[in-house]
Amino acid sequence: MVHSRAAGNHAARPFPTARPIGCPFDPPAAFTQAREECPITPLRYPDGHIGHLVTGLGAARAVLADPRFSSLPAGKRSPVKVPGSELSTDALPAGMFVNMDPPEHTRYRRLLSKHFTIRRVRELRPRIQEMTDRLLDAMADQGGPADLVKAFAKPLPTLVTSELLGLPEADRAEFGRHVDVLFSLSTSGEEMRRSMATLGGMLHALIAAARKNPGTDILGRLTVETDLSDEELLGITIVLLIAGLETTTNMLALGTYALLRHPGQLAALRADWSLMDDAVEELLRYLSVVQIGPIRVAAEDFDFEGRSVRKGQVVTVSLPAANRDPLGFEDPDTFDIRRGTTRHVAFGNGPHQCMGHHLARLELAIGYESLLRRFPRLELAAAAEGIATREMMVTYGVRELPVRW
Amino acid sequence: MRIEVDEDLCCGAGSCVLAAPTVFDQNDDDGTVLLLDPAPGAELGAAVREAAARCPTAAIRVV
Ligand code: HEM
Ligand code: SF4
Repeated sequence: MVHSRAAGNHAARPFPTARPIGCPFDPPAAFTQAREECPITPLRYPDGHIGHLVTGLGAARAVLADPRFSSLPAGKRSPVKVPGSELSTDALPAGMFVNMDPPEHTRYRRLLSKHFTIRRVRELRPRIQEMTDRLLDAMADQGGPADLVKAFAKPLPTLVTSELLGLPEADRAEFGRHVDVLFSLSTSGEEMRRSMATLGGMLHALIAAARKNPGTDILGRLTVETDLSDEELLGITIVLLIAGLETTTNMLALGTYALLRHPGQLAALRADWSLMDDAVEELLRYLSVVQIGPIRVAAEDFDFEGRSVRKGQVVTVSLPAANRDPLGFEDPDTFDIRRGTTRHVAFGNGPHQCMGHHLARLELAIGYESLLRRFPRLELAAAAEGIATREMMVTYGVRELPVRW
Repeated sequence: MRIEVDEDLCCGAGSCVLAAPTVFDQNDDDGTVLLLDPAPGAELGAAVREAAARCPTAAIRVV
């Protein structure tokens, strides 16, 4: 007998997490089933809440651009239990604009966007190239095999972010160590809290130094040009760290892995480096490393693309699913660096669309090209089955990538 | 072809500048869109439509 209360929700599925065996780059097959039913389907959250799962490209863009789906933290929940999700959000500093709606969100975005325009990002090119070359020199000096995550994919985004924030060179190693702890898979809640406290201290000191002696980095400029409080600056800095590090690191490592597993595509790229920008776009689409969320909460009752959405319902968008929608991409499961499409949602959509997308694209293009040019015979130093991936994490990727050259 | 932009909607993502750099630019003060050419020639049609489609906040209208 069908329970009457559950009648409308009988199809609610838990968030799919099992990727197909043998292809670490394809999203879980259950997303395809869900999309074939409907681009928005009922989703069961770990605490029993019934919300919605968005798997279609058009619906994903529409949800993320619709102000009726709120980014405020109230009532938000993750569709799977992820490390760190048990940390309370009550103590978060002001200024964390990822969790805000317009117009508060707009205010922060306007103050920060100027530091991430194409023009500003292009000025960073020589510095990013220099930092990249230094890391590759160190790898070459040490000799292979090496773990690409540790030797390259992690330090590069950390160095770039340190530069943006004006962190003194002398503090960068310690900074990187604590950021590692924060993002490590094996960290306990207690360790995490401790590293968070230490990082908080370092960032407070950095903000104080910027006030006293403002440089040309983002923090220095913000202290001079805006009336943001120390606490807001701290919140902004944390947003930049959370949003910019793991994402770029995992794109660098998983992207290299994907290229090494598609030798024909890699050979085409090596033969014509002008394909690099298209290759970066295709890697962003094909890999869609942000694999859980963006998450929104319905701010009112309304009908959305034929579904009734109730106030308070939690909506999870699957970017990997949306980026494999056959209505958006021909042969969506084929990795093709010549595809030449930029209409993917790897950076989200709407007012919260990734603020660092120009920077991320530049880091990836410089990172992949410099790595592949430096090591013309780069190859995996482990069997594909031995390369562990980051299931159940907000950001997908490989835990280690053993390579030799 | 005429273009309208809604600066209030714009979140300063700058995707329009990538798609059609002779038509759009970004303000150095807050990253929001600057319309360089409100009535571009027909040869820019594809690039402008691409910019409008890529704009994350639908701030660009081609009329
Ligand atoms: C390949 C690397 C990256 C990917 C795939 C990525 C992806 C994303 C996605 C999907 C969002 C949307 C979140 C939402 O809608 O709630 C986002 C937001 C954001 N990203 Fe990125 N990101 C990357 C790199 C970066 C970098 C390098 C930075 C800057 C240093 C950055 C800064 C931000 C910020 C500040 C936001 C929040 C914007 C807002 O809430 O208004 N990201 N990113
Ligand atoms: S793409 Fe849209 S949101 Fe981004 S700068 Fe251009 S008009 Fe503004």
